[in-house]
Amino acid sequence: MAKVRVKGLRKDFGSLEVLRGIDLEVREGEVVCMIGPSGSGKSTFLRCLNFLETPTGGEVEVDGYLLTDGKTDLNKIRENIGMVFQQFNLFPHLTVTGNITMAPLDRKKLDKPAAEKKARELLERVGLADKADAYPAQLSGGQQQRVAIARALAMDPDIMLFDEPTSALDPEMVGEVLAVMRQLADAGMTMVVVTHEMGFAREVADRVIFMDGGVIVEQGTPEEIFGHPREQRTIDFLNKVL
Amino acid sequence: MRYLKLLEESFPMLVKGLGGTVQVTVISLLIATLLGLFCCLLQISGKKPLQWISQIYIDVMRGVPVMVLSFFIYFGVPNGLGIRLTAVQAGVITLSLNAGAYLSEIFRGGIQAVNVGQMEAARSLGLPYGRAMRKVILPQAVRIVIPSMVNQFIITLKDTSILYAIGLPELMQSGSLIVARTFRSFEVWATVAVIYFIIIFILSKISKRIERRLHNGKGKG
Repeated sequence: MAKVRVKGLRKDFGSLEVLRGIDLEVREGEVVCMIGPSGSGKSTFLRCLNFLETPTGGEVEVDGYLLTDGKTDLNKIRENIGMVFQQFNLFPHLTVTGNITMAPLDRKKLDKPAAEKKARELLERVGLADKADAYPAQLSGGQQQRVAIARALAMDPDIMLFDEPTSALDPEMVGEVLAVMRQLADAGMTMVVVTHEMGFAREVADRVIFMDGGVIVEQGTPEEIFGHPREQRTIDFLNKVL
Repeated sequence: MRYLKLLEESFPMLVKGLGGTVQVTVISLLIATLLGLFCCLLQISGKKPLQWISQIYIDVMRGVPVMVLSFFIYFGVPNGLGIRLTAVQAGVITLSLNAGAYLSEIFRGGIQAVNVGQMEAARSLGLPYGRAMRKVILPQAVRIVIPSMVNQFIITLKDTSILYAIGLPELMQSGSLIVARTFRSFEVWATVAVIYFIIIFILSKISKRIERRLHNGKGKG
């Protein structure tokens, strides 16, 4: 079953056309990695999936709900779509536990002990059980990003979006974040990942999508894209980054 | 010794004046804070007509001196509309309108100083706009805003002395009444100045303490 179905998605910022007709389906449990040069529209595409950006045209359907019809309760849909940002965007005025429990307490009406128990389990999962009472500013970038993943998971989403989750990290912290993402993929989470980590895309993705100039230029298995790219633009890009 | 006697005699009057000053300041600032919040919400509403309304209000308040505004409200409005206002009512209205405009800009600045990523993170978790504002944006904005807010409180406290001109019973008026009776303007005005200074000094210290407590163990994320 398709978790995400996108048809003819367009997005303009004024006269700047960022997305020029994107069609994509993501199956349940599939891990899709989106690669491509800066400004190719990957992040904008991702942000259209949970309507942080409102598309200019086309259709976005998530979990069978058509987001683009203007009638769907976006807040309800967003509870099912976790998002992890390049800049972490943890809430600096809350502790790690506070960050993770805020949305479940507010939206799912969990009681505090239940939400905190869940936060502890998630922190265990991302390897930060000892940081429950720390504030974001006291954590390294890699730790902050792992907390951000735990925060997104606290709402029990069935889709996770990752917007260049390791791009703001020091090199030695990239591995710990990718490890958590890999574990999530192995557990069967449906994931759409915008990334510059070609190693991760090659090893973890079920499908790799190469975007350039606001369109999908080429897609296929990691083996197809990295091993035998057909399009010249893909070849040029991979030559530059590999 | 002569000074101590003077102080003793004028003490009740000074206390009464100070009481008036504090009362008008506190009431005005409460109203101004609500007015400022409301006006700031209009500003960030994204709705053009609402933004215009609050912008006109802010521009007018910025452009009119407090004394002119107080004369307009105390003498002008009753004259034009046939309503009666006491000096205290007119004074409170004047300071509320004036401080409300400045506080609105302070609040807006504080909210806009919070990184947009904070709103996006909150919305991506499914929080509606209002909840995200309350749980994520405002707690951070408050920390940013406190020093400027206290600064405005201090300005408003001092501006009460301008309302002496419409006959508001406050510290400045007490001072001039005492001088009129005793002709000791050097000692009296020095005393009045010291009283203002002490009150404001205490206010600054309290605000520093609040600031420190809010920042305890936290930084920017």
